[in-house]
Amino acid sequence: MIGCYATGIFPRPEELIKTTQRYVREKIEAAKLEEAFERATAEIVDAQVHAGFAYVSDGMMKWQDLLRPFTENLEGVRSGGLTRWFSNNTFYRKPVIIGELRRTKCVTEKITLAQLLPKNLPWKAILPAPYTLAQLSENLYYKDKSELLFSYAKMLREEIRDLARLGFKYFQLSDPALVCRLDNQPITADEMNLIAEALKVVVKGISAKTCLQTFHGDFSQIMPAALDFPVNHLGVDLYETKFDAVKEYSFTKGVALGLVDARSSLIESSKELVNIAKRVFEFTCASGKDECFICPNCDLEYVPWKRAKKKMAVLRRVAERLREDLRE
Amino acid sequence: MNKLFPTQEIGSLSKPAWRVKGCRGLSLTKREIKEALEWGRKLGIENLDKLAKLLSEKDSIHKRQVVLEWSARYAIKLLEFAGLDIVFDGEQWRSEMYEHVARSVRGFSFLGMVKSFDFRYYNKAVCVGKPRHVQDIYLEEFLFTRKNTDKIVKIPFTGPYTLACWTFNEYYEREQAKKTGNLKQRKLEAKQAFLLDLVKNVVRPEIRKLIDAGARWIQIDEPAATTFQSDEEMTLFVDSFNETVKGFNSIFSLHNCYSNYKILAKYAGKLRNCNQLALEFANRDDGQIGRRERSGYCDLQLFEKYGFRGNYGVGVIDVHTDLVESPKLVRERILYAAKMVGDPSRIYVSTDCGLRTKTWKTSYEKLRNMVLGAEMARRRVSM
Repeated sequence: MIGCYATGIFPRPEELIKTTQRYVREKIEAAKLEEAFERATAEIVDAQVHAGFAYVSDGMMKWQDLLRPFTENLEGVRSGGLTRWFSNNTFYRKPVIIGELRRTKCVTEKITLAQLLPKNLPWKAILPAPYTLAQLSENLYYKDKSELLFSYAKMLREEIRDLARLGFKYFQLSDPALVCRLDNQPITADEMNLIAEALKVVVKGISAKTCLQTFHGDFSQIMPAALDFPVNHLGVDLYETKFDAVKEYSFTKGVALGLVDARSSLIESSKELVNIAKRVFEFTCASGKDECFICPNCDLEYVPWKRAKKKMAVLRRVAERLREDLRE
Repeated sequence: MNKLFPTQEIGSLSKPAWRVKGCRGLSLTKREIKEALEWGRKLGIENLDKLAKLLSEKDSIHKRQVVLEWSARYAIKLLEFAGLDIVFDGEQWRSEMYEHVARSVRGFSFLGMVKSFDFRYYNKAVCVGKPRHVQDIYLEEFLFTRKNTDKIVKIPFTGPYTLACWTFNEYYEREQAKKTGNLKQRKLEAKQAFLLDLVKNVVRPEIRKLIDAGARWIQIDEPAATTFQSDEEMTLFVDSFNETVKGFNSIFSLHNCYSNYKILAKYAGKLRNCNQLALEFANRDDGQIGRRERSGYCDLQLFEKYGFRGNYGVGVIDVHTDLVESPKLVRERILYAAKMVGDPSRIYVSTDCGLRTKTWKTSYEKLRNMVLGAEMARRRVSM
């Protein structure tokens, strides 16, 4: 089965950008901002439906950064300084761990506009993976990073359960820190084992589908150990990955192929992407049993909304063409 | 410079309401005009009656230009009044460090707003054709500053690597797509080609003009230097700096802030003709007096270890807090940095970055204390 979907935070449409700026300048009330968020969310949901996405997200209009709901709503975390988000000209608030992590409520519910999601399509939620959360936090409480990693894993499991109750069927765990190494140091085998264990904690007892989405870095460096991660799908950023280093392995999982470059405004040629996807399918999804998704390599928020819509159309064309060519 | 611990600013000062509104053709309130005149009197600016008349005039192209000149004159005076040795005009002529350049370059057009963080965005340009230098970027601003001060003038100049990182690269990615099917390699090669042309066709022609007009010190601003930390990317950055400054008879320095200095340090020794590295440190320091160790400043040793032998512009003023550092704290930071480097003559005293998010009052107080702290440090070293 070949489908397509998005993999992160969508860009705010122009009208919402202007509204948020007016809100910051205290020209409008919070209620007006809320209305603008709803209009933007509806527009983004509609665009995903139109693009034939297999799973639809709410576009994450209210997310200031991927970690923010955890930074602001977990007990034991304080919001720290603005810090560069990997290799981007965007910034996130560093979570500073000052006590035992405790989750007293669903941390993403307030910023998730589930009521605007379509009833006839399955919903996708995107959360930070435990490793990325732990790596990007400043730990002033736990005795080591692995303690923090497992504490986050427990919080994430509870979060996924609550979101599953709301109706979400697919959970993407975004894990850029796994492949975009902050200190340029390769990840160790011990760390990979710990991450696999933490992921087990996250997905324990969850029937929804899960995907570990890597981006901003080379997926080949976590192969073949990543094939043992307890998730249904693995996400690969094809603009950062050494293709030749990955193709020596045969995948035993579904894949989410980051074929559309969300950090470039250039609209890709669908024909070329179809050819690249076919080359990747030679060593992934070969059995035809596993699901494959065509997706952007990372959050679409790096390009303006108008450009993102054009990229979504490319995703649709590539997925359709692949289905036709592979006679699905 | 013969003087120990010379003091400098990095570039921007905030733009007063009368500058912003005056240049947009909006009318000013009485309060805003009064504020302009009060600052003028405080800074000892002459002919304020002319400014008062100008600010009350109707909008015109002439008025907008003269308002710009007045605010540049004010900013220069503010820096002089605080006692700095090296000055510019607070970048009053520029809308913003990126947009100002992007608007001047042929081959660039604006694509729209993208998020920087939270509800903050920036207008991101796209390169759609070979970039070309078709109009002066900094020349007029430099000439005006030069005419209005006797101090050493250092021109902040947005660097090519940062321009390339902050601009969508459609033209070269499209060109490169014809040559290779490898997506990763394609992006890197497209960036390399973009950077080379930016340096050759935009940056160097502007530098040539500045130097011909008498510029003696150009500060290349590269906040994006460590955005991508791979060896290939860092090499691109170093090569772009070296190519930018090659063969010119001028002092060049490099400013970088809020970045990974462990990575930057490894490559700093490869920068040629880089007289000074102006770096942000105060933001990394806890600001307590009497510290034996100042962990934020320890990275200076790394730059030394990896072979950087130029001077350091050491950030002793945090530009993201309204708290005004005391001269004593400034003195301690300077002396600690001098100890880390092992040679006080290589230390220039600086703010972490431009002060554009601070009010002029706060900026003035911070700069004044920076100057006083440098004086205390000088006395201490010469004791």
